[in-house]
Amino acid sequence: MSERKIIVIIPAYNEEDSIVSTYKKLQDLNEQVDYVIINDGSTDKTAEIIEENNLSCIPLVANLGIGGAVQTGYKYAFENNYDIAIQFDGDGQHDASYIKNIISPIISDEVDMVVGSRFIEGKESSFQSSKARRIGINLISFIIKIATGKKIYDTTSGFRAVNKKVIAEFAHNYPVEYPEPVSTVYLLKKGYRVSEIPVEMNERIAGTSSISTWKSVYYMVNVILSIIIYSLRRYK
Amino acid sequence: MNLNLKIMALCAILAIYIAMTLLLRKNRISVKYSIVWYFSATLLLLTLLIPGFLEMLTHLTGFVVSSNMIFSFLIVMLIFINISLTVIVSNQSDKIRVLIQEVSILKAKKK
Repeated sequence: MSERKIIVIIPAYNEEDSIVSTYKKLQDLNEQVDYVIINDGSTDKTAEIIEENNLSCIPLVANLGIGGAVQTGYKYAFENNYDIAIQFDGDGQHDASYIKNIISPIISDEVDMVVGSRFIEGKESSFQSSKARRIGINLISFIIKIATGKKIYDTTSGFRAVNKKVIAEFAHNYPVEYPEPVSTVYLLKKGYRVSEIPVEMNERIAGTSSISTWKSVYYMVNVILSIIIYSLRRYK
Repeated sequence: MNLNLKIMALCAILAIYIAMTLLLRKNRISVKYSIVWYFSATLLLLTLLIPGFLEMLTHLTGFVVSSNMIFSFLIVMLIFINISLTVIVSNQSDKIRVLIQEVSILKAKKK
């Protein structure tokens, strides 16, 4: 690997059962990558486990939610002059062996952000999540296509890599509400290049998804409204 | 307007003035946000003090009964106060988020 400074941002909220294994998987890689865990005010033993294992961590002084936690990681990456940042969930859903694939289009400067996707045609991950979830994701995908002209298949994937320009952008402006689909729209609208690569995802080892079933309709309405608002804004 | 009603309205106006002044004195509310309450209380006071003012306003705005006009105005005013509060809350939660992030980064760096 070249001289690039690479950091993995791991947002963690109540991930006591999976945070260490996530860390170990990153250590098993051959790549030279740094990492930082953003502990978003976990109420379980996450903080103690991080301390015991002496992991690199920024504990948020109050709970911010996934968007605010991830942005903290981008701010840290920006301040410490990282060239590439990778967003990687602390719950064991993401597969570290794909990190090499996800950063390669960024290293070759083909795109500014790469999204690890479960749904790219032809190459499908064995774990696809529930039917209802897929319908929701497809609907958001359709609306993003209308708003930006670009088809993004796995709109809610939190496994993504960005280059230095986007790190600076996200450190200052990150849509902290419904960040995954909305940040994609934001980047596309501002003229950044976004693409997807196929990845496998596992079912979460522990913890619950941040999008629970009974909230999903509310989530959909909010995401669609956010996308509309973001596409109505003027960007230079 | 009958006398009983006038006395009650006057009490309400005084209560708003006193409550706002106390809140301001204890630094529990900022001047910026107290003004809207002073202003509405003063408007109410004017309708009491100037005879025929309320009737004139009612006639001018096309309402048949004064109470309908008062209720409608109150509802509109409350909606506006509500919207402005929502704006303020959104603004503040943004600032709080930035604060939490920066403090957390600083604190982690110090270790």
